[in-house]
Amino acid sequence: MNKLLECKNLSKYFGPVRALDNVTLTIGSGRIVGLLGPNASGKSTFMKICNDLLTPSSGEIRIAGFEPGVESKKIVSYLPERNYLNDWMKVSDIISFFDDFYADFNKEKAYDMLNKLNIQAEDRLKTLSKGTKEKVQLILVMSRDAQLYLLDEPIGGVDPAARDYILETIIRNYNENATVIISTHLISDIEKVLDDVIFIKEGQIVLHKTVDEIREETGKSVDSLFREVFRC
Amino acid sequence: MLAKLMKYEFKSTARLFIPLYAVLLVFALLNRFLNPFRTFEAAENFSLQVFVRGAGMAIYFFLILAVFVTTLVLIIQRFYKNLLGDEGYLMFTLPVKTWQHIANKLLTSIIWCILSALVVAVSLFVLTASSELIRLLPYIIEGIKNTFGIAGFFVLPALALSQLASGILMIYNAMALGQLFQKHRLLASFGMYCVLYLIQQMIYVICMLLLANTAFMTLIRSASLTPLGMNLFLGSLAIGGLIIAAAHFALVNYVLNTKLNLE
Repeated sequence: MNKLLECKNLSKYFGPVRALDNVTLTIGSGRIVGLLGPNASGKSTFMKICNDLLTPSSGEIRIAGFEPGVESKKIVSYLPERNYLNDWMKVSDIISFFDDFYADFNKEKAYDMLNKLNIQAEDRLKTLSKGTKEKVQLILVMSRDAQLYLLDEPIGGVDPAARDYILETIIRNYNENATVIISTHLISDIEKVLDDVIFIKEGQIVLHKTVDEIREETGKSVDSLFREVFRC
Repeated sequence: MLAKLMKYEFKSTARLFIPLYAVLLVFALLNRFLNPFRTFEAAENFSLQVFVRGAGMAIYFFLILAVFVTTLVLIIQRFYKNLLGDEGYLMFTLPVKTWQHIANKLLTSIIWCILSALVVAVSLFVLTASSELIRLLPYIIEGIKNTFGIAGFFVLPALALSQLASGILMIYNAMALGQLFQKHRLLASFGMYCVLYLIQQMIYVICMLLLANTAFMTLIRSASLTPLGMNLFLGSLAIGGLIIAAAHFALVNYVLNTKLNLE
């Protein structure tokens, strides 16, 4: 397996809190990976470290051989769990913005998706509803031809009908050599698209297997295994 | 990449500054025509004309204040909201180095400060029907030349720029340090500003004490200040400002590079 994302003994502490605790992990290319865990288990912290938004307290992380920085940001497309759109731009402005800064951004693809989702390019970001903003962000992120997509709770804020479309969008828009990591706790919704599953609990990786392995070894779905591992 | 960042920074700020500048200039012009026959000075009793004139001037001065306040607020807000708020998730995942983000904010802020000052100056020319002020201009230039020499035309702007840069960077620094706190970040930023201000004042005092008995001070204390003496003094202040600005820049860059802590 090639090493697109590699962590060695990665830890992040916030004061006494261990948000990530000694994580060692290798993820190859061409996978759709579910990063699954309850709230505050370290999913977002992990993604923020991958994007250089947090500096690890100890340990190492490499993305395609690069430490998080300018070179890794060129090949990583990140959807944070919050709305980062400013309120003065139009949808078309933010598309130009992405086009300006990311060499791998595909403008036609973005406009195509906007059309399909019935979002007007001339609308101001300020006037969009919360769900539409999330869709715009997802369109921006998926219109890049990145090597690694890091999607933090991509379906958290949208209705179940839009969820299917979004998952379909994700699957349709990444190329075969790219890897998608999706963090969520809505497992049953995304189970069918996953190749690999990582369970994370209190900052530690408790399981990293393919979905097939899970089914063969336990005879359970990812959702029911999750409920078992994370039983309160 | 810095040029691209600045392009968007100007776009996002110009939409506020340009209308404000336009309104200020329009009001300066209005005020000029509201007083064509100097009715304000000639009026003996309260009249509607006097009221309109007074109100016009009050609005004009309020607008000047608004220009300066907006400039200061935007210097703070663009850094705090765009880099340290939710928009930071977008900005800091662009393939851009951290120092370029800081340089972008700093350069655009400096340019807006200069433009704000220029627009206010121009509005004064417009208001006062210009001729007197314009006639004064050669005397002002002559005065600078006599006191500072030709070098003054470089040293004075250099001093102003270095002070402006170090002032803006100190605000950035306070916010960068303030975001290290988990809670009450805005309050922490204010606190940090006070701490930084105190440290800076202490450094000034130490520098003054160190220089107290050198030839440098004798030069400044001499009864008749020569242009050379003035320029030496102001030039070293400018260099001091630049050193402080560089120190602030380095610290902001360090904090945002290694200790970024977006909410």
